Amino acid sequence: MDQAAAEALKGALAVIGYGLAAIGPGLGIGVLAGNAVQAMARQPEAAGMVRTTMFLGIAFTEALALIGFVLFFLA
Amino acid sequence: MILAFECDAENVAMCAPDDVSVLFEFHPIFESIPWLTRTHFLIVLAALLAIGLMYFGLRKRRLVPGKFQLVAESAFNFVDQGIAKDVIGKGGERYTPYLLSIFLFILFGNMFEVTPLVNFPVTSRMAIPAFLAIVTWFIFVIAGIAKQGLGYFGHLLWPPGVPVGLKPLVGIIEFISTIFVRPFSLAVRLFANLVAGHVMLSLLLGTAGIFVWGFIQGDLGFGKALTGGAWFILGVGIFVFEILVAFLQAYIFTLLSAVYIQTSVHPEH
Repeated sequence: MDQAAAEALKGALAVIGYGLAAIGPGLGIGVLAGNAVQAMARQPEAAGMVRTTMFLGIAFTEALALIGFVLFFLA
Repeated sequence: MILAFECDAENVAMCAPDDVSVLFEFHPIFESIPWLTRTHFLIVLAALLAIGLMYFGLRKRRLVPGKFQLVAESAFNFVDQGIAKDVIGKGGERYTPYLLSIFLFILFGNMFEVTPLVNFPVTSRMAIPAFLAIVTWFIFVIAGIAKQGLGYFGHLLWPPGVPVGLKPLVGIIEFISTIFVRPFSLAVRLFANLVAGHVMLSLLLGTAGIFVWGFIQGDLGFGKALTGGAWFILGVGIFVFEILVAFLQAYIFTLLSAVYIQTSVHPEH
């Protein structure tokens, strides 16, 4: 395989890898935010606490997608 | 945004930079001072803005606050009440100065991304988030040792209630996650969010600029100009979203620093 084709293949693989890395966190953040909305709707007086905890959870879940994103640039 | 105007003029529409680092690395402002780049200048500016807001906002305190004082006081209350006392709990106000400093510094650093004519978030250079994360790491480790003595490391390796048989496994996992993964993910989260935002805005608005400019020059057809307009509208939408991201990432960095300090000073939770 010549150099240009190898480069193009590497780029395409990196894009696919990032797409795969984004699946899990996407599902996770969806579940998390959905449950947080449910909790806030059931108990509006606890909304502040739920929101803080939700942001924490999102921050931890998102980290995986972001590491994938960084690797996508490194590839 | 400048990516399009540095290549040869013959083929204006299709010109990709060699590397994404074109967007993040700058030449020195003055040729004679090689270390003074735009990034350095913006770091100092962000720090001065954070200091200036607090200094001038709270210099002459009055019972009925003026505009400046109101902003400074609400920033202080947001961090002091909402983050330090809420998350750390008893004794949290000791950490308010640190948390407020990193919150304001990161917020101003992020906001440069959406400031017209600047358009470069300094926190998208890994050195800055990495340095802030290392400072946070030192603070929570030292706070833990100061509070619990050398028992801190025992708590760190084995949270209360771990069965004896699992201790080696849990110890290794907890050690790696506390000592290595915490600062790494803290830094990478801020860095990657800002890099993503900067690249996205540069691509959308840069493409829109090239297409519309090419149409005005007469190189490109009307269809390309319409596409450029669509990119521009999407770019403006992302621009507004990036303002939210800039604030949210400053908040999350400060919140996670507070959570890490909390696990050191109140190990029972």
